[in-house]
Amino acid sequence: MPPPAPSPNPNPAPPDAGISRRNFLRTSVVLTTGLAALAASLKPLLDMNDFPTMERFLQKYYKEMTPADMEKVLKRITDETEKQYGLRPHVRDLKPMDGVEFVYCLNLTRCIGCRKCVHACVAENNQSRNPEIQYIRVLKLPHGSLDLEKAEHDYNPEKVPEKGFFYMPVQCQQCKNPPCVKVCPVHATWQEMEVDSAGKRKGDGITVIDYDWCIGCRYCEAACPYWARRFNFTKPEIPKERLNPDMAYLGNRPRRQGVMEKCHFCIQRTRAGRYPACLEVCPTGARKFGNILDPNSEVSYILSTKRVFIQLKEEMGTSPRFFYYFDV
Amino acid sequence: MTKAIRNYFVFLWRCGRIAFVGDWRYYTWMGVLTVICLLGLNAYARQFAHGLIVTGMSNEVSWGMYIANFTFFVGVAAAAVMIVIPVYIYGNEDMHDLVIFGELLAVAAIFMCLAFVTVDLGRPDRFWHLIPGIGQFNFPASMLSWDVLVLNGYLLLNVHICGYLLYCRYQGKKPSKWFYIPFVFIAIVWAVSIHTVTAFLYVGLGGRPFWNSAIVGPRFIASAFTAGPALIILALQVVRRVTSTTTVTEAARLQGDAPTPPSSPATLADLELLARHLPELASVSSQVRKDTLAGAMVLELAAGHVLLRQGEKENEAYFVLQGRVVVKREEGGRFRIIRSGGPGEQFGEISGLAGTPRLATAIAEEPSRVLRLPAGSLRKLMKNPAMNKIIRSRMTERLMITDRALLMLRSIVQVSMLINVFLLVNEVFKEFYSGNLHVASAKYLFVGLHGHHALVPWIWTAIAFNLTAMVLLVLPVSRSLRWLNVTCVLAIVGIWIEKGMGMVIPGFIPTPLGAIVEYTPSLNEALVCFGIWAFGLLCYTVFLRMAVPILQGRLTKANEHHSVEEIAGVTPANSNP
Repeated sequence: MPPPAPSPNPNPAPPDAGISRRNFLRTSVVLTTGLAALAASLKPLLDMNDFPTMERFLQKYYKEMTPADMEKVLKRITDETEKQYGLRPHVRDLKPMDGVEFVYCLNLTRCIGCRKCVHACVAENNQSRNPEIQYIRVLKLPHGSLDLEKAEHDYNPEKVPEKGFFYMPVQCQQCKNPPCVKVCPVHATWQEMEVDSAGKRKGDGITVIDYDWCIGCRYCEAACPYWARRFNFTKPEIPKERLNPDMAYLGNRPRRQGVMEKCHFCIQRTRAGRYPACLEVCPTGARKFGNILDPNSEVSYILSTKRVFIQLKEEMGTSPRFFYYFDV
Repeated sequence: MTKAIRNYFVFLWRCGRIAFVGDWRYYTWMGVLTVICLLGLNAYARQFAHGLIVTGMSNEVSWGMYIANFTFFVGVAAAAVMIVIPVYIYGNEDMHDLVIFGELLAVAAIFMCLAFVTVDLGRPDRFWHLIPGIGQFNFPASMLSWDVLVLNGYLLLNVHICGYLLYCRYQGKKPSKWFYIPFVFIAIVWAVSIHTVTAFLYVGLGGRPFWNSAIVGPRFIASAFTAGPALIILALQVVRRVTSTTTVTEAARLQGDAPTPPSSPATLADLELLARHLPELASVSSQVRKDTLAGAMVLELAAGHVLLRQGEKENEAYFVLQGRVVVKREEGGRFRIIRSGGPGEQFGEISGLAGTPRLATAIAEEPSRVLRLPAGSLRKLMKNPAMNKIIRSRMTERLMITDRALLMLRSIVQVSMLINVFLLVNEVFKEFYSGNLHVASAKYLFVGLHGHHALVPWIWTAIAFNLTAMVLLVLPVSRSLRWLNVTCVLAIVGIWIEKGMGMVIPGFIPTPLGAIVEYTPSLNEALVCFGIWAFGLLCYTVFLRMAVPILQGRLTKANEHHSVEEIAGVTPANSNP
């Protein structure tokens, strides 16, 4: 221990008093200016009309919620939606049906590129109208080529189909090996397919998103080879009179700003035994949907009798549950 | 125990205090940075309220400037420890204390990285979903979860190494190797890992052929090890300049002749006094002590007395018995404090032993008593193993940012740049020669695609900068600091474009469905980026503000009762120029 060093200024009180008063004044001026500048720079936060409540902030992950938790959350979502849109929705947490695995087949010979599916999907799934979000993108391709770089996205002729072209609607391909699920850092998106210890597969294979768990990093959007995912860059807007009140937690309930969404095979319909909206609206019967585990289903028939299918970007190893086929 | 905790908090408190003390240049610099930070915060508040729609990003190009900057600064953070390798692996003493500057830069860069990813999140309020154990951590499947681990781990490693070394220096204790050498080696490996993991974020995406290439990882490392040390070369020169606070008048005074101080032959009592501060002396036998006294003198110095002068030739070494002596070195006409030492510290032993000209000038800061030993006596003392060890270990002049150290870094930049350009050529060849459909993104980047060419001027600027920097680095002309600085700026800007915007954006163009939607950052987005850059600079400045006086020996536990204004050399009287 070194001996205590002599203080260089044994009696500092009188000169220090003036300095410290000046220092105090200076410090308080700097502090006040600083705090005022900080407050001013945070002013845009006042524009927020949707501050997350404690309840929402602490909401549990979908797979960790007990039935009682889920009931509470569904009630809250119902109330919030009613408050916002003036219409009391029917929100359910629909589980996969036993012995069902969904598959979509799309007949490229029949599709005429009318985009009715696109708009039926928007209406059914409560997608934002401003900015516009659509799950289905219809590509117009020249005869004979599947080179997507040749695709036209914003074709707008008087009448479809146009000669020399064919049309290919692309939406979430519901991969058996989905890259989006692999990359999500927080398990906010997953495939509804579980393999139990006996090796038995359970689930209908739909890849879903917990909109209340997604952190909005958009890694899944970068990972998807089909450009199937859509991000809510701002608060979605849906006109009150257009809201579809028949909702599912993992399906078409209204989303918030800053989260990802995408096609979920109309979970709110298909898990209740109905067809997806895009299929019902298709005027040419190009779209077929059903249970691949049922040998008598339409999709089983198509996949066992048609000679050629396309699984888009098969070389990616994603193994889509979405098959394009032809009439011949 | 409580005493140790108290000491530690006093240390933190004083470090915090000294960050707020400086001359008008310091306040202006910090003020400007704070204003830019607040502008950035303001822009971010707007984004927080309205969503990422205020950026230029879209569903087609869903990552932009934020992630581009993130990628670049992970590289800077990784490369900052490159400076560690010559020191700890090759024992290059020139760069010893510079390690701390490098690691502090790494810490500041990681802060920037964390800020860039946070502002990129759509739901920053849900960050806790990412915390392992509390949220749902998709480890090891998601490369992003790896990034969370390696970045935070790297931050902790560097904070530990810097914090530990600085706290030891502050206390005047010799750091225990066990507490930092293992971490230094872990940090070196870890540095490579943070950048490899960041490369894998992109490489792992099969649906994006532009990124899905094995060469991206090596390219990231090569470009980081070019840009990082280049940034350190510039930063060190700034540090060197701003720590030379001595004014012209003082320089003139240092040139003048000082009166001979009163002196008397040294006695055993003086050695006894020295042994109190230099415990190693206790192991020296009394016979050797007596021998040592031959020719030894004790000098009484007034404050401001110049003890030895840079460039002069003498064969003596000094030990401080009482008071305080500061060592300054003249570099480019300005004096820079290299270190300052109290009782027990030694000066002038390097040139004293070697008989070479003095490396620096030593001045008494307070009225002091010093012991002057002829070189022969010092050699006698150093026959004792304990004394030999302590004197040798202190012989490294602290904080000498020598030109030699900068040139050492230059050779790192040189090799890395050559490898970087070589890897780029490989990538370009593979993309264009095979000419398959996957070349679309590369075409968009280098020559434009279907009439869209927003990035073309940028990437060619980057290539021109990189090639010019490469040529300059190979030529001997970049041995001169002025040209080296130009080269470093070219390399940094070139790589920032090439691996930032030039890497992230083309991955999205065209989209996997073949649509071409271009990306231009919005003003709001740019303001957020500027804010984060200013924040990074602010952090680095504060870190240096704390570290430099500690490394100089001006901020120590021994002078706990001194105010930080005194230590920083700023008193109310002279703070107003």
